[in-house]
Amino acid sequence: MHVSVWREVARSNAGKAGLLLIGAMVLLAIFAPLLTPYGPRENTTTPAFSRPSGDHWLGTNDARQDIWTQLLYGARTSLSVAFGVALLSGFISVLIGGTAAIFGGLYDRFWMRVVDATIAIPDVIVIILVAAYLRPNVFFMILLLSALSWPGGARVIRAQTLTLKERMHVSAARTFGAGPSHLLLRHIIPDLGPILVATMIQDARRAVFMEAGLSFLGISDPSVMSWGKMMQYARVFTYLEVWKWWLLPTGIALSITLIGLSFIGFALESALDPRLREREVGHDGGI
Amino acid sequence: MLKPLIFGLALALLALVAAGTAGAADGEVAEYTIADATGDWGFPSPYAHYSRGPGYVRMSFIFDTLVWKDDRGYLPALAEEWEYIDAENAYLFYLREGVTWHDGEPFDASDVVFTVDYIKGHPYQWVDSAIIESAEAVGDHAVKLRLADPYAPFMDLVASTLPILPRHVWEGVTDPAGYRDGDALIGTGPFSLADYNKAQGTYLYEAYDGYYMGIPKVGRIVFVKVSDQTAPAALRQGSVDAASVPPEAVFALEGAGLEIIEGSYDWNAKLMINHQKEPFSDPEFRRALAYAIDRDGLVEITLRGEGLAGSPGMVPPDSDWYNPGVEAYEYHPDLARDMICDLGRAGAKVEILVAERGTVGWPGSRAAEVIERQLEDAGLVVTLRSLDGATLDSKVMAWDFDLALSGHGSLGSDPDYLRRMTLEDTLNSARYADNDRLADLLEDQRRQTDEDRRADMISEAQELYAEDLPALTLYYPRWYWAHNGEVDLYFTRGGIATGVPIPLNKMAFV
Repeated sequence: MHVSVWREVARSNAGKAGLLLIGAMVLLAIFAPLLTPYGPRENTTTPAFSRPSGDHWLGTNDARQDIWTQLLYGARTSLSVAFGVALLSGFISVLIGGTAAIFGGLYDRFWMRVVDATIAIPDVIVIILVAAYLRPNVFFMILLLSALSWPGGARVIRAQTLTLKERMHVSAARTFGAGPSHLLLRHIIPDLGPILVATMIQDARRAVFMEAGLSFLGISDPSVMSWGKMMQYARVFTYLEVWKWWLLPTGIALSITLIGLSFIGFALESALDPRLREREVGHDGGI
Repeated sequence: MLKPLIFGLALALLALVAAGTAGAADGEVAEYTIADATGDWGFPSPYAHYSRGPGYVRMSFIFDTLVWKDDRGYLPALAEEWEYIDAENAYLFYLREGVTWHDGEPFDASDVVFTVDYIKGHPYQWVDSAIIESAEAVGDHAVKLRLADPYAPFMDLVASTLPILPRHVWEGVTDPAGYRDGDALIGTGPFSLADYNKAQGTYLYEAYDGYYMGIPKVGRIVFVKVSDQTAPAALRQGSVDAASVPPEAVFALEGAGLEIIEGSYDWNAKLMINHQKEPFSDPEFRRALAYAIDRDGLVEITLRGEGLAGSPGMVPPDSDWYNPGVEAYEYHPDLARDMICDLGRAGAKVEILVAERGTVGWPGSRAAEVIERQLEDAGLVVTLRSLDGATLDSKVMAWDFDLALSGHGSLGSDPDYLRRMTLEDTLNSARYADNDRLADLLEDQRRQTDEDRRADMISEAQELYAEDLPALTLYYPRWYWAHNGEVDLYFTRGGIATGVPIPLNKMAFV
């Protein structure tokens, strides 16, 4: 009855493409310092708005900084925010969704109303307001985005836990006297794996998008390189030719990351939902 | 996104041009279109327009002042001649005869007296009514304005700024800011407003045939909202006739046959320093900051050379009032580090507030990054904090900051701005009264009507300002306008009215 998530993802074409794209991005981000001789904020001696050349693969920007370098370091920001938010928001989702389903009653109702309320809040406005009082750095961004994105996951996890709770092996464990924590940790969470990964991927995708959007709006740590900020700067100079190697590659990098995550998410969803699954043999229908 | 915008704009303008060319006389301009990035600057009556330069300019097409300015200096407007009567501390203005309001009513001295009385009852944002003690008509076409105290900047800040209101219209108006009747825009100026669309940010002016300097040579003036990024393309396509353009676009536009005019250095990017708070309250620490920041480098990197490094005395080097003798604080990171070390402030935490705004040359995160690095080289621990413009302003106003990047204009006008930007309790002011000598000089200079003596005072004030550094002028960006040459646009000497650095002087269209 267990669906092997990764086998499913790796088997589908969308999954393969997604893993490839994200894998490439991760490698570029990790090895950024090896792939460029410049610092992300270094003002080089090359004139501003230089065309792409051997020294500067994507030319230079208005402050004589190497655009390729900024693109690489921007990937670091986007991916760390994505990773951080996925992890934190996934954790909160399981904690709240899972316990709500197991304990039920007032506790369940309380948290589900909190979920409803949180989902109704417009994210960007809250973030702009909070950023006015706190200093928005990467860590803060992860916290804030997680705080706003866990409710969707919590709802899904709760629903899933409710069905899992009634499964034979869980009932069996319960009859043998297993407590809620044992049930959650030993029986429910392992079976939540696939759907948890799916919500985490979705959160990650949203985080990449939100981070870029917020730094585009100027709500981010100004000393951290980010794709959103690169676009914000590049946008000012669209009347020059420079957009071709400044705005466009940044947009493409952002799109690749989002598409990669979407593909993985899509492959996961297909794996989880029997209706989306391609006609195949060897599965018992899972859920 | 760009293409449909330009296309839509071109289409709209084409329709306007088709409608406008019908009545055009030979050798004159039927219609002139000006691009503006913001668009809406408020209903163009003296009390209703937004309290910034472009709002005033839109109002100035409709309302006249006693005196006006062009690129050379003062120009007779409603007053043909004027004299200062020393014994009475009064200005006597001889008014032009035969001037009519847009509704045909004649203009005379009673309108001027009424306007002065009116701003006493209803404070006008651009002129301090306390300066004028009384206004008195001397016959139908002369007015004597008695001043409360000698006031050196009178010609700039009152005579060529105060729009004269028609008495027969405004007499019963009790809420001038809310007054929006058709009559609210009756002036004596060369143009009258045919249409204003707040949502679209468009203005349409039509020439007033009865204008006292003859029928204006431009039949209609249109203001349309076009972003700074699209303006160069719109200019090249001919869908707008004039626009402010970024320095990088200048070369290409010149190549395309457009005329480029260059403004003077009337705007400064300024590092606001919280001198109410340790360690910034120590002038020596502020001086160390000045040595640590490479202002030339800042111009080089953030403006790509399109500007001048800031003078620590605030007054720009191209101004007649500039004192070249002020302490220059040449970039000296080692000295800065030593000074900070000697003060026991090495490793002190400093936060710089920064916001992004559309103005060309506005010190945004680019400038902040450079300053961050330089202050860190000088041994400080710097964090940047990005905020929206309004939040930054309110934090600065509440003294809730360490350092903040800001800026303001007016530097081309009467040097009284040195007082306003040092002592007054306003947003762009350093709000610094710790130095008694500086405060006294700044207060006294405006009462000094002897030009030479006043120049000496302004010079000394700059030196004291540079010594105390309540705020640090970082640079003066260079501003460009491009136009198609149909109308000979120019930057007004000292700026329009109180110093608005926009080359849309109504006299260019007359």
